[in-house]
Amino acid sequence: MSEKIKTVRGYHRNVTIVLGVILAIFLLIPTFVKNPYTLNVFILIFYMSTLSMAWNLLGGMTGQNSLGHAAYMGLGAYAASMLITKAHMNPWLSAVLGVIIVGLVAGVIFYPCFILKGPYFTLVSIAFGEALRQFIINSSFFGRASGIGLPFGRDSWLNFRFGSKEPYYYVGLAMVLLVYLIMKKIERSRMGYALRTIREDEDAAAAIGINPMKYKIMAVVVSAMVAGLVGFFYASYIRYIDPEMMVQAKSTESVLPAVVGGAAFVEGPLVGGLIMIPLSEFLRAKFSSILPGINMLMYAIVLLVVIRFRPAGILGWYDHSKFKTFIDTKILRKPPIEVIEEVEMMKQQGKEA
Amino acid sequence: MDIFLQACVNGLLMGGFYSLMGMGQNVIFGVMKIVNFCHGEMLMVGMYLTYMLNQVFGMDPYLCVPFVAIIMFGLGALIQHTLITPSLGTKSFTNLLFLTVGLGLLLSNGALVIFGSAYRTIPTSYARTNISLGMVNIPLPRLISFLVLIVISIALFIFLKKSTTGKQIRAVSQNPVGAEVVGINTKKIYVLTYGIGTALAGIAGSLLTGFYTIYPTAGASFGFRALIVVVVGGLGSIPGAFFAGIFLGLLETMVALFVSPSYSDLIVFVTFIVILVVRQLIILRRK
Repeated sequence: MSEKIKTVRGYHRNVTIVLGVILAIFLLIPTFVKNPYTLNVFILIFYMSTLSMAWNLLGGMTGQNSLGHAAYMGLGAYAASMLITKAHMNPWLSAVLGVIIVGLVAGVIFYPCFILKGPYFTLVSIAFGEALRQFIINSSFFGRASGIGLPFGRDSWLNFRFGSKEPYYYVGLAMVLLVYLIMKKIERSRMGYALRTIREDEDAAAAIGINPMKYKIMAVVVSAMVAGLVGFFYASYIRYIDPEMMVQAKSTESVLPAVVGGAAFVEGPLVGGLIMIPLSEFLRAKFSSILPGINMLMYAIVLLVVIRFRPAGILGWYDHSKFKTFIDTKILRKPPIEVIEEVEMMKQQGKEA
Repeated sequence: MDIFLQACVNGLLMGGFYSLMGMGQNVIFGVMKIVNFCHGEMLMVGMYLTYMLNQVFGMDPYLCVPFVAIIMFGLGALIQHTLITPSLGTKSFTNLLFLTVGLGLLLSNGALVIFGSAYRTIPTSYARTNISLGMVNIPLPRLISFLVLIVISIALFIFLKKSTTGKQIRAVSQNPVGAEVVGINTKKIYVLTYGIGTALAGIAGSLLTGFYTIYPTAGASFGFRALIVVVVGGLGSIPGAFFAGIFLGLLETMVALFVSPSYSDLIVFVTFIVILVVRQLIILRRK
């Protein structure tokens, strides 16, 4: 028996080591990579993956396909920027308030739209995003189509403004980690199970006592709040926002990492983002001056190929591949699933006793 | 009063295009229950096809319409056969959604790569001709387009109502399993429907070129309005789509006239959200 416990412990330790090494690599990258362009690509990966994780909570986990996440991101960016420029608030405080505002807007104004299902939910999310964008374009308070610039100043953590990219890199990395841990927590919680049940069959979920309305609202609000946080990060990093960041094409772009990586997995957007964004940036840098649009064309082709031949995304393919079996048995030394379950059971019993 | 009548006519003429786009979307949505998110891009492809035919063979844009319709039908059928039908089997709405979204990206960026982002027009001898009917002036190209699209709408309506293929399409849209049981080849019907849908979008694009600029993202606003038309006009209803399109065109011009042109998009989207929610509330009440 103790033999089994030992192997399971060893497996968990190996997983921790691998994750730790990956994290350490990301932490050390800025000390070796000094090229601002490369760092910019990493920052882009961080915030696009986070946005994609926000989408994934709603789209991948709950099955409500939103195509309006750029609007939530824009709303967060605008709320934070307005608080900074008009109310002269500290950026960190305005980030917190901005995220709360986005959550309220998503929960209160969007509330009647939760009765819509399937394609109708997608349509309303597009219409909501576009309506929000048109509202900002027509409102002089929000600076109309010309947008808002954030004040420049000295480098400081208090004002979250830096000339170099390194601090943004670390804040972006922290944001990805935080959101990933939140998503992982949600996935394993009661809410996560409820959301996945709703995805599979909403009527059945209601029949077994899950209130679909309640959980959908929770999912939309959390998802919109994360998107709003990304918006704040984007505004602080670029220092300029305009309604163009809320166009529908941006919403689509935010979904691609999740779909390519595997929308059924919390890690899907991270894997997809790590692959798709450097690819897109590389194509943009190499070809866009010769042939504009070629980067998005390749992007579209990758998306179509993945959906046509690997509908579950890269992680869905990896989950059943020999490569995974190799990594599990040889590198992580994963014991058979029955052994892990047995040890889990023993722990449970130990706690109860 | 003059301006009001003129706005009504303009709204009517523009609404015709929304109707045509909505009908194509409606046929696809009705039969396969998928939202075709590249419908606007299909319109754009139709525009560029007309442009090419005009540049290479010197054809009049209105003469191009049948050719564009045939080419677009083939393109739609090919896309359905190679991409959409295999994915229909996975029953994953997310994948189908992003399949059409990806196709839209492919088409609009493909056009950007091939033709560049320059705005193009097809000059015609009659582009500036106006026909005045009492108080209102109607530009000739718009009038021809409107008449052509009315004819096409009626033809589509009769086709779906009377012909055997049309009846098969309606049968599949009502109950795919039942249709299969009575011996209808649903895969063939899917290919046919998607072909018809894209052909209608292509025709709309071709008819637009007489008075509209051609650029890679020209279809986006039409694509979304087609979705509004489908929801407002009711699933599977061709007359419904027709009148919803006209209503949308009139709504836009009325808002532009009485409120402000820059608010017309905002009002259209808000109206759409309200209609979606109210419609769903009525459905829930009926249950």
